[in-house]
Amino acid sequence: MIEIENITKRYGDQVALDNINFTVEKGEVLGFLGPNGAGKSTAMNIITGYISATDGNVRIDGIDILENPEAAKKKIGYLPEMPPLYLDMTVEEYIKFVHRIKKVKSNAIEPSMTRIMSLVKILDVRKRLIKNLSKGYKQRVGLAQALVGDPEVLILDEPTVGLDPKQIIEIRNLIQEVGKTHTIILSSHILSEVSAICHRVIIINKGQIVASGTPEELSKKVHNRNIVLLRVKGSKQEIYKTIREMEDVELVEEHGINEPGTVDIVVEAKKDIDIRETLFLSLSRAGFIILMMKGNDVDLEEIFLEVTKNDRGVQ
Amino acid sequence: MLAMFQKELRSYFTSAIGYIFIGTFLLITGIFFTMYNLLSASPSYNYTLQSLITIFLFIIPVLTMKIISEETKTKTDQLLFTSPLKITDIIVGKYLAALAIFTISLLITVIYPIILSTFGTIYASEILSGYIGIYLLGATLIAIGLFVSSLTESQVASAVICFGVLLFIFLIDNIEQALPSTRNASIVFVLIMVAIFSLFVYFSTKNIYAATVSTLVGLSVTITSYLVKKEAFDGLLQKVFGWFSLIKRYTLFSQGVLSLNSVVYYLSFIAAFIFLTIRVVDKRRWS
Repeated sequence: MIEIENITKRYGDQVALDNINFTVEKGEVLGFLGPNGAGKSTAMNIITGYISATDGNVRIDGIDILENPEAAKKKIGYLPEMPPLYLDMTVEEYIKFVHRIKKVKSNAIEPSMTRIMSLVKILDVRKRLIKNLSKGYKQRVGLAQALVGDPEVLILDEPTVGLDPKQIIEIRNLIQEVGKTHTIILSSHILSEVSAICHRVIIINKGQIVASGTPEELSKKVHNRNIVLLRVKGSKQEIYKTIREMEDVELVEEHGINEPGTVDIVVEAKKDIDIRETLFLSLSRAGFIILMMKGNDVDLEEIFLEVTKNDRGVQ
Repeated sequence: MLAMFQKELRSYFTSAIGYIFIGTFLLITGIFFTMYNLLSASPSYNYTLQSLITIFLFIIPVLTMKIISEETKTKTDQLLFTSPLKITDIIVGKYLAALAIFTISLLITVIYPIILSTFGTIYASEILSGYIGIYLLGATLIAIGLFVSSLTESQVASAVICFGVLLFIFLIDNIEQALPSTRNASIVFVLIMVAIFSLFVYFSTKNIYAATVSTLVGLSVTITSYLVKKEAFDGLLQKVFGWFSLIKRYTLFSQGVLSLNSVVYYLSFIAAFIFLTIRVVDKRRWS
């Protein structure tokens, strides 16, 4: 659906994007991760045709954004980092204007407006001036704007920034809902968000793709450790002893004490062996009560820090 | 283009600028009309029209200052330039909206000659030609303001630069007279122009060969034309500056002379500045 080929963007001598390549399949939700200034917004601005690349091609559904910008842009809904809102318009006027510049047929505008405004829940503020809206509502109006014209591709640049936790969950659900029928590229620096919504993640640092894959694949790439986190009631030494006696255990580490009378332990098992069952059985046989057990989590945060720390990254 | 035009026109009236423009325009034209025509009982309405030019200097920068700079500043241009609209549609739509505000203001002043006609004879054709002239002049200055607005993100900078450019255009006749008209001065002028052009070529292409070639071409054209026709260089400065004298062209209209030549002159100025604006906006996205 979206093909990015050898995109390079230079500002004078400064390289903002360096030979970026990736494709997004139809119906896929792709997460774009990176620290500030990594080139996320630049990449998105190029994909949407707002700025041009110094080199390379962008094709939306096979249409080149530079050769046939009108047709390609019709297929894209874009929510930039700062929602492009006309503050002295009412929500309704604004959404109507966007319908018109996106060339929606005039008899389809009214039903489409109601549909989109109810989808992002801004129907109750439709008569208000945009400048009087809260940040969360402005963000929703921005999202509504991107949905106008039913584009097949949605490019969302940090869609949940500046929202309160409840709104974040709402917008996230909304994106997941929309993601069923649309192809989405979403940038974010909130890692949990990306792992919650996206099928695939691209991590970009200093204008280069440093890692890509599903959140699970990425976590395997970064640390090949097979880890279980435990909280067990009982004395530390005896618990340690019981675990060390087990087969397949490579390493036992303390992970602090968070509840009185219990101990948190990190157990590393041999590769590709799920030791959770045997761990449970042997600990309960020894009379210890397991209060919590957590498997090897997909911890994007760790991956992120790891790949953005060294400039080579993991390929 | 229509969507853009309507949105812009509405925004002139939701912000105060539309009212300020029309209000100031009508207030001052009213004062001029009262002074020149009513109080002195004079039927020569074109005298009033002609003094409107001075108002342009102050209110056209107000009309055009935010036309593009505000979109750049608030990043709403991201919406426009990622929509299926063509840049030409966006810019022309915006220009036409500013022009519409000016048209409305000017149409209201048509009341004045009608008032005059009830008291005596007026020269309708002369007034009509005066109106066409002032309309074309205003439209040209708005196109210049549009261009200036595309150069900067700041509305204030846009207004000040626009004011400066208009002031220069207004003073161009006086400046022209102060310039030397000798052959040598003209040659120096041409050489400076060639140098500026070459530098421009160099900075926009970063190609030293292209710049050298354009310098050489410029120099050889200058030398050949000097050898072929020395007289062409007499008073060249005056000719060039005179060509940019938008005001001088207007005086013909106010004398009742409706020349196609001048109409084309103004229209090509408008087209050129709209084209330049489109280029500037487009270029910014490419750099």
